[in-house]
Amino acid sequence: MKLKIETAQNCDREQLRKLLLEASEQLVGGGNHVLEARLRWEGQPILLADADLHPVLVSFDPDSSEAALVNGLQGVERLRSALPWINQVYDPLQQRQQSARLVVVAPEFPPGAEAVLHSCADLNLLRYRVLSVNGESGLWLERLSGVAAARSTPKAATQVDAERLPEQASNDILPALSEAENAYFQQL
Amino acid sequence: MVSQLNPAWQRKSASSSRLAEISARFLGETQESKQGNDLCQAIPFFLDGPEQRWITDELARILTERGHPCSACHWGDSNDPESSSPTAHGDTACATDAWCVLAVSSPDKLLRQDIDHVVLLVQADLDGVRIAYQRIKLLAQHGGPDIGIVLVGPRDQHAAWRYFRKLAVGALRYLDVPLLNLGFLPEQIAPGEDAEASHRHNFLARIGERLLHSGFYSTITTGAAQRGT
Repeated sequence: MKLKIETAQNCDREQLRKLLLEASEQLVGGGNHVLEARLRWEGQPILLADADLHPVLVSFDPDSSEAALVNGLQGVERLRSALPWINQVYDPLQQRQQSARLVVVAPEFPPGAEAVLHSCADLNLLRYRVLSVNGESGLWLERLSGVAAARSTPKAATQVDAERLPEQASNDILPALSEAENAYFQQL
Repeated sequence: MVSQLNPAWQRKSASSSRLAEISARFLGETQESKQGNDLCQAIPFFLDGPEQRWITDELARILTERGHPCSACHWGDSNDPESSSPTAHGDTACATDAWCVLAVSSPDKLLRQDIDHVVLLVQADLDGVRIAYQRIKLLAQHGGPDIGIVLVGPRDQHAAWRYFRKLAVGALRYLDVPLLNLGFLPEQIAPGEDAEASHRHNFLARIGERLLHSGFYSTITTGAAQRGT
């Protein structure tokens, strides 16, 4: 069969939500569960549970990467406070009380992505394009790694945006491990 | 246990702030308590989640039994992110007891209050050790407190020692942070099982003794829920 792939026009928030739900496996891996397709919080993020039973907040915005990031960080903070309640309400979490992960999806990576990734161990930043394949719409998702962020982010923007992060959120988010630390903690 | 550790892992020597703290403790008995601004010896515990609260609750009960009137206070589980005061749990109140086991669930709460000691409850598996290391790294980035470790759920003392050694060597090598080994709660210990009660009691009592003997606590004023020194 001949594939006809083209970029589609940018979608609105609800169309993006639908596409993200369809692409949940790409976002958080297989074996996930959708806990809430629309949380009534700022930005109306999606709440999933991954295969390891971590709650995963998917914060997205079809226009503004900064809004998606800030809403996501605030959402994770609320989620942390509400963790016992959330574990009671959503059976797929099996009362494991696991810490929450954050996935931020926007058309572009937010400015200051490097600083954010360095201070947030459980954060994934993704940008997307809507593609049409033989008339069917789908998402093309690109994940930002720390190295790519260093290449793509101007340093001045990094510093400004790191200062803008809510103080409490940055204090509660665990720092990432260096390569040497990661290697050290691979085994006992 | 403390004396068995490599000297590099021992607690920092008494600093001027520590001496000031001790002095305030004695002065507080004669002056501040009369003003209704009582000093309390707080032992902050950083919990992984509410399922570990039984540890702090039970430790408080054991300390009380052993002549150190103690409350268990929970700090940081309020939905109000601005909440900065510990809340008493159970029938006793922080303000009335000389000792307080303070359960904290947010690093931000610790950092904002400038607490100078904290006990980390570390799950005895590789993930648990890695998360504990990240917490230590976060605290160290802010000029953090002295850190004591209690391993939760190792098979036996040997396993507990292996996990502690992994964490302590990593913390010292990469962060230059010494850790204090305060003991462990083996895997067969769980809340709510009467048959295990005395076993559990013994392990927690041992941890309590180590905390008191090593002076691993902070002095706070209970009126304002702030550090007293």
